Amino acid sequence: MNDISNPIVQMLEKFLTLASQRHTLITSNIANLDTPGYRTRDFDFRGELRRAISTEDPVMTPIARAIPGLMERPDGNNVSMDRESLLMAETQLQFNIGVQLIRNQFQQIMTAITEGSKG
Amino acid sequence: MSIFSTLEISGSALAAERQRAEVVAANMANAETTHTAAGGPYRRKEVVFSSSGNMPFRMMLANFRTLGFHPIPAVRVARIVDDPTPNVMRYEPDHPDANKEGYVSYPAINPIQEMVDLMSAVRTYQLNASAVNASKQMIQQALDILK
Repeated sequence: MNDISNPIVQMLEKFLTLASQRHTLITSNIANLDTPGYRTRDFDFRGELRRAISTEDPVMTPIARAIPGLMERPDGNNVSMDRESLLMAETQLQFNIGVQLIRNQFQQIMTAITEGSKG
Repeated sequence: MSIFSTLEISGSALAAERQRAEVVAANMANAETTHTAAGGPYRRKEVVFSSSGNMPFRMMLANFRTLGFHPIPAVRVARIVDDPTPNVMRYEPDHPDANKEGYVSYPAINPIQEMVDLMSAVRTYQLNASAVNASKQMIQQALDILK
């Protein structure tokens, strides 16, 4: 481990990976809004993030489960447009935060490089 | 599974919703069609969506073994079915397709039902289009890390 790829950058990388994986799942739920019998699928973001951070290994694709407690329509589909829209906005902002934080980390290293040469 | 697969998933939904709107348009255009190549009046059509993740367990397991993850389901039009609602009989003795009693059978198409269906297809299309925009924005942001 060196200064450029420090633990914070590695943690943020896992955060971004999980956020984009969740975004894919939400997109799939939205795509299947009118599919008879389709069940909303999602994973526990906090739990998966905690697990990903606790190990050195790269992020595994979390197992998506059907979400209980959603209202089911007569065709057996239980996708809620509101839930998915909100989650999509949330995930997008989370991703944005992660990107900004990573950029900030690299900016700090850049500052260390450029300021050092000024002496 | 990559962030680019989200575009494919949303794209499949855009295509499916567009086909649904096309079927609605065909239904409305043929609301008064009493004569078709198959004989008899036009029959109202309906699309049936299916999730591409709907596969037998054996295939799912094989996929999991090769890919290492379960593919995220996109959507597709499984088939287009005929509405079994019986035709509407209207008394028009001068019509060339009238039967012996002077009744003509018209397709059972309710414009309100079709409009609601069309509206629902358009809204779902919009929702998926905004999902595409969200995905594009995320990819763009990831590229911005390089700047």
